[in-house]
Amino acid sequence: MAVFPSVEWFNAVRERYNADETLHTGGGGPCEAKAALCIGDNIYLLEFDGFECAEVREIGRDNIDQTDFCLDMPMSEWIDMINNVQENGAADLHHTLSTIDLELEDGLARAPGDDQYKRDLFYRYNQNFQDFFDASAGVATTIANLD
Amino acid sequence: MTQASRIKNLTASVAHIDISPPRLEWMGHSMQWGTRVKKGEHGLRLGDLNVGIYGEIPEHWEDQTRRPRGAADLPGMPPLPYHLRSKHQVWADSAADLYEEAIQHRWIPATDIPWNDLSPLSEEVERAVCQVLTELMQAANAELECITYWQEQMSYGYHEVKQFLAVAALTCARHIDAFRKRCLANGGGLGLESRGRMNRAVLESRGGWTEAVVYVYLLRGFYIQAQYRFLLAHAHNAAEREIFANCLADHARHMTYALDHLKYAINQRDGQRAIIQTLLSIGERTLAREIQEPVQRSALAIVFGGGVEGGRQEGTARWLALVRSSIREYLNACEWLGVKRNIIHRDLNALLPLDEQLKPPEQG
Repeated sequence: MAVFPSVEWFNAVRERYNADETLHTGGGGPCEAKAALCIGDNIYLLEFDGFECAEVREIGRDNIDQTDFCLDMPMSEWIDMINNVQENGAADLHHTLSTIDLELEDGLARAPGDDQYKRDLFYRYNQNFQDFFDASAGVATTIANLD
Repeated sequence: MTQASRIKNLTASVAHIDISPPRLEWMGHSMQWGTRVKKGEHGLRLGDLNVGIYGEIPEHWEDQTRRPRGAADLPGMPPLPYHLRSKHQVWADSAADLYEEAIQHRWIPATDIPWNDLSPLSEEVERAVCQVLTELMQAANAELECITYWQEQMSYGYHEVKQFLAVAALTCARHIDAFRKRCLANGGGLGLESRGRMNRAVLESRGGWTEAVVYVYLLRGFYIQAQYRFLLAHAHNAAEREIFANCLADHARHMTYALDHLKYAINQRDGQRAIIQTLLSIGERTLAREIQEPVQRSALAIVFGGGVEGGRQEGTARWLALVRSSIREYLNACEWLGVKRNIIHRDLNALLPLDEQLKPPEQG
């Protein structure tokens, strides 16, 4: 069982996302973006390339500037979102990335240097990112013990 | 009769006609022959073709014909009304990639939206949803008409932009289609026509494409984008969710082109920055009045509040959050472009929280 958050967990999700062809048509077409996920003390880089998520790796805080944007929210919000996806098979309307972006006071997505072009990528590919997290419903998940 | 005998008969029937030998001089006319662009990992994309002379994008394109960039010219071709012939008037480096993205992220309202997931809403909410979409339909229509008006005036020297905008116009048509279908598929119908203050400003902007981009996207674009974001968060079913997620992605693509183009125009043309500042000063008042229009304001509040009662407090608070979010995005984009707004129209400023309102510079 993969532990969230970890590179292993993201790789398990990545495999499911890449293998499901129904996620790569219509609004979920090709995606070119480097998304950083700030989860607790860890930062994970998801690199989307064409129809797949090509790579997941951990990066240091100094490398955030080399990504297109960063999704940053408290650990409890990440866990809530992942649990919601596990329970429902896909995020319900209160737990989509778009809704969370609206609900958090500072928003969810931030582009390094407030680069407007990079920030738009979050909206341009919103379905790809949502599909990616929804694919985690099929990954047997344990939440890391935070204590 | 077989194909062979048919050809034989035909040949016999024209044997008496004196056919001059073919003139193949046209074969020698190519600006660059022997080009072999290879497809990359993601296929053969529009931007990949910019090799050799085919990748030379001129600062000014004198030709007023339909000659494709890189083709040999035919002397004597009469000019056509391609008035936008300078790169700074239309260009964005991202145009070729956005074109590819747009045609690959296509969706079909008729079949890609799970229409069977629609379910009856209370009449007041259904009326509000239909009213909001009636307004958004008109905004998409104005955007479409604005794009096509200018797109046909753009020279073929900048075909990447022309092609992207052709798809952007189709995207607007798709939004109109999807909104209309949503209005007519769940027991409701279209609502009241919009006053269309910004639509009029957009369509009456005749100074140039760059100036139109300022109105359609920089000024009004973030307000439209915020509506898609909030409507997505408040979708009532999978059909609405799919519609607004797709519209958000499509619209963000248009915004990317717009900001990329404005940045290019500002960097390449003296005085463009000041022109944009002036346009924004004029346009902000119109935008503020559009935002405050009671029909769309109350319809959005009812959608967000789940009914007329919920719309009074919670829904109105959500509407205000939408408006504030769009103004903040607008101000951030202006600053990113290098046209920072030190002061905005008072009606727009008044919509921001007190501690965020811009203060006029003190008189020295």
